[in-house]
Amino acid sequence: MKNLTRLAVLGVVSALALTACGSDSDDASGGTTVVKLWLAGEKDTPEELTTWLEKEYEAQNEGTDLKIERIDWGELIPRLQTALSDAGQTPDVFEIGNTQSPTFTSVGAFTDLSDKLADLGDNVGPESFLEAGAYDDKQFAVPYYWGSRYVFYSKKAFADAGIQPPANLADFNKAAVTLKEKSDAKDFSGFWVPGQDWRNGISWIFAHGGDIAVQEGDAWVGKLASPESLKGLQEWKTLSDKASTAPKDGLDEESWVPFNNGEAAMFMAPGWARWSVEEDKAADLGGFALPGVGGGAAPVFAGGSNIGISAKSKKQEEAFALLQLIYSDEYQAKLAENGLGPANPDFTSKMGDDEFAQASIAAASGSKLTPASPHWTEVETTKVMEEFFGKVAGGADVAKTAAEYDAKLEAILNK
Amino acid sequence: MTVTTPLARNRRPRAGRTALNVLALLLAAVWAFPVYWMVNGSFQSLSRLRSPEPAWLPFGEGTSADAYGRVVDASFWDSMQLSLVVTLLAVGCGLVFAFLAALAISRFRIRGKGAFVVVILVVQMIPAEALFISQYKMLSGWGLFNTIAGLTVLYLAMILPFTIWMLRGFVAGVPADLEEAAMVDGCSRFRAFFTITFPLLAPGLVACGVYGFLQCWNEITLATVVMDPSNRTVPLWLQGMTTVSNKAIDWPAVMAGATLVAVPVIALFMLVQNRMASGMVSGAVKG
Amino acid sequence: MAQAMTTPDAPPARTDPQPPRLRTRRRRPAPYLLLVPALGTLALGLGYPLVRQVVMSFQEFGLAQQFGTADPEWIGLDNYADVLTDATTWAVVARSLAFCLAAATLTMLLGTVVALLMRQLSTAPRIVLQVSMLAAWASPLVASLTVWNWLFDSRYGIVNWFLVTLGFEGMDGYSWLANPWTFFLVAGVIVVWMSVPFVAFSLYAALTQVPEETIEAAQLDGATRTQRFRFIVVPTIRPVLSIVMLLQIVWDLRLFAQIKYLQNAGGTVSETNLLGTYLYQLGVAQSEYGVASAVAMLMLLLTLGLTFGYVRSLLREERTA
Repeated sequence: MKNLTRLAVLGVVSALALTACGSDSDDASGGTTVVKLWLAGEKDTPEELTTWLEKEYEAQNEGTDLKIERIDWGELIPRLQTALSDAGQTPDVFEIGNTQSPTFTSVGAFTDLSDKLADLGDNVGPESFLEAGAYDDKQFAVPYYWGSRYVFYSKKAFADAGIQPPANLADFNKAAVTLKEKSDAKDFSGFWVPGQDWRNGISWIFAHGGDIAVQEGDAWVGKLASPESLKGLQEWKTLSDKASTAPKDGLDEESWVPFNNGEAAMFMAPGWARWSVEEDKAADLGGFALPGVGGGAAPVFAGGSNIGISAKSKKQEEAFALLQLIYSDEYQAKLAENGLGPANPDFTSKMGDDEFAQASIAAASGSKLTPASPHWTEVETTKVMEEFFGKVAGGADVAKTAAEYDAKLEAILNK
Repeated sequence: MTVTTPLARNRRPRAGRTALNVLALLLAAVWAFPVYWMVNGSFQSLSRLRSPEPAWLPFGEGTSADAYGRVVDASFWDSMQLSLVVTLLAVGCGLVFAFLAALAISRFRIRGKGAFVVVILVVQMIPAEALFISQYKMLSGWGLFNTIAGLTVLYLAMILPFTIWMLRGFVAGVPADLEEAAMVDGCSRFRAFFTITFPLLAPGLVACGVYGFLQCWNEITLATVVMDPSNRTVPLWLQGMTTVSNKAIDWPAVMAGATLVAVPVIALFMLVQNRMASGMVSGAVKG
Repeated sequence: MAQAMTTPDAPPARTDPQPPRLRTRRRRPAPYLLLVPALGTLALGLGYPLVRQVVMSFQEFGLAQQFGTADPEWIGLDNYADVLTDATTWAVVARSLAFCLAAATLTMLLGTVVALLMRQLSTAPRIVLQVSMLAAWASPLVASLTVWNWLFDSRYGIVNWFLVTLGFEGMDGYSWLANPWTFFLVAGVIVVWMSVPFVAFSLYAALTQVPEETIEAAQLDGATRTQRFRFIVVPTIRPVLSIVMLLQIVWDLRLFAQIKYLQNAGGTVSETNLLGTYLYQLGVAQSEYGVASAVAMLMLLLTLGLTFGYVRSLLREERTA
């Protein structure tokens, strides 16, 4: 019966092991109040900032312990869906992608900040972020940082083709095609346009005055098939055909890869893409904001995050103190110095004055957000926009496809 | 009873044998190539990994093992430890529990056996993606959120159904009259079972164990929602490296991490497989 | 032992006969006790979630209910009606069934071939084959999906490179994921690649159960190779074979990770959703937990329907045994 004994021992050992690992509680221990902050992304908020925040917060609020946890973007939604509903596990303050915030503002996941907005400063922006954080005329989430997209280009390719950075959108489109035509390299792109890259492609729609969808009365109305949008789409489609060799099912991820490989003269991406360009190409790299139809900067899709307090948090006051610290001059300056667009525009200038910072600030000046509907997240997770742009790039009839996707958008946004 | 003598070995004509060996190597190549590509990728630089000219070899100019240095940090070891503990607990308990249940339903007459078998089949038809919110609520309610016990219970429930089904099949594959013959010779029923049937089940136990191990080892959804963000299992740790976060994804590091995660698993199972083949497992249980 | 020889065409179910006298002598509670750990764990880990799943499928349940800002409302069969009257659901069901059957069949065929091969090979090729299978099996999902995606990458992928080298110039820059047909071809390759090792190792394990003495006795009695395979090997491995097949169908019907990954890598979501991703879309992306639960229930019924024949024959076996 040795065998049976062994089985029994195994069973007992596992049972012991199971019970032995108790839960490590986050709640107050030894008189300190633990305040939990969830930041999205492994590296989005630099280490320097979180260290400062922890030290400063604990110094200013005696008896507190600020615990900062970084949530992977891919895990953020399921984690918020579960933890935010649970007073025992919820973070007290949490960051959320700006386009994701309407989903949670509409269901009471955030604490209403309307009355306290003034305590965060009298100059909070950008406006589009505030809109995304508002619901029912109440302010639930406030801007954390913004980022913008601009065009990266090879100075050498421009010099070889004998062209200058363009001043308006028509020039840009022309330059992109010229760059491709003048290059002898195989599969060379003047401007890298992956078929499903709607986050950059949308700028052509915005530039011509088009939009994704707008609220008319109580209902959302799709605007992809509006004459303005169609004009932008046609231009983008021409670029995709004549200036780019990117796959028609390509995504906006890793747009710097062809640039690094010497296969593209320009690509458009969020500002941090700069750090993904190979070192030996760094000297060749330039940046400018995508020009608008009549010069200036074209509206781009605004990236960035909102931040708010969980309605279920039992430490509302401590949480608000943390929010105030994030809105303090020092923290805002630190955000800007690290290349993250600060909520307080007074500090925007701290982002630097090289061409990349200039491009970033210029591009952000006209940035736009996606429709502030609680159902927009669904559009993103079901990849409706990726599909639409992919089909247009793939050669589908632009007007017909746009009308079809307007209907799809309306069906989702008006749920 | 020689379990390990391969069936009808050495009875094939030489030419047929060669053809089979070639076919086997071909299949092996197809199955191994993506894994080779993973290991190869871990030695390339980021730019060589995504370039128009494929980089075929993990050595020579432009390759380095730097990526391994970049991935092996404290978080790697923490994740490994967490994953190993949870997985081994779940698989260990899973095999024992499932084995007992399989024994009960295939060697004894039990009322409601049919219902039991069908229920077990049914519970694994609902994907984890549908259940995780309820499972989160349940664990949180019991105070088992972010505990090894909590995650282990969920994993156990995840692997038990198929393990019971599989083991039931393996037990059914051993004719009961083998046992009865031994009982006629004066063995007790349990002794007969453990000396005759159990060794024949060992390969099945290993196959189920490996599958259960890999199910838990690769699980993502539950590990995301019932554990604290600071306690990440291996797949979450790996997945964390593949999401864009204000920085290009370090693919060589991802592949290095994947290699480090896979190699011990492969080594462990080759070892188990061989030990079993050499009869050590059956020898041990005969005790 | 001789039984298998004298009645070679005995149905496999009877390889597990149990003389009644042994059974009636056993004390009653013992066998039930053997079930307790398994049943207890299942009840603990899945009981509440499953019950809640059923309940939610009859309720209006979304994020607002999840956060407690609205109470769940009983709406009877509305969720089911919504799902069943939606043409999308049926397209997804049809696609899932087709994909599941194709992938499961191919997996079973290849898995059986590999298992039989492992028994026949010389030592060296056998070990090579086993290590390859294990390696494919043990590679972390995230990594193997990434690698497969790279292999099929339209621009830098080895597959296109290889096809072009072979002379298929048209494949230069071909986007595999853009078209639903080639999307599912790629998905099929990946799913089969990932599933075959399990089938192969399980069947290989079952093959080791085949009693060597019986084979030898049969050989002495003059049974041919084919006869030995059909009347001794197949009946012994049949329980495992049919269970593996059943599990394969269940798993391939609820595929999630592979499809989701490929959708993120460039597939057209609305044209490539299978039941698993569709359910995820409803539940996680749209937070329509009620509707998602109804879909889960329908999946359950569908799987039961698909495996009904097998389960019934199995239950009959149990009753007559």
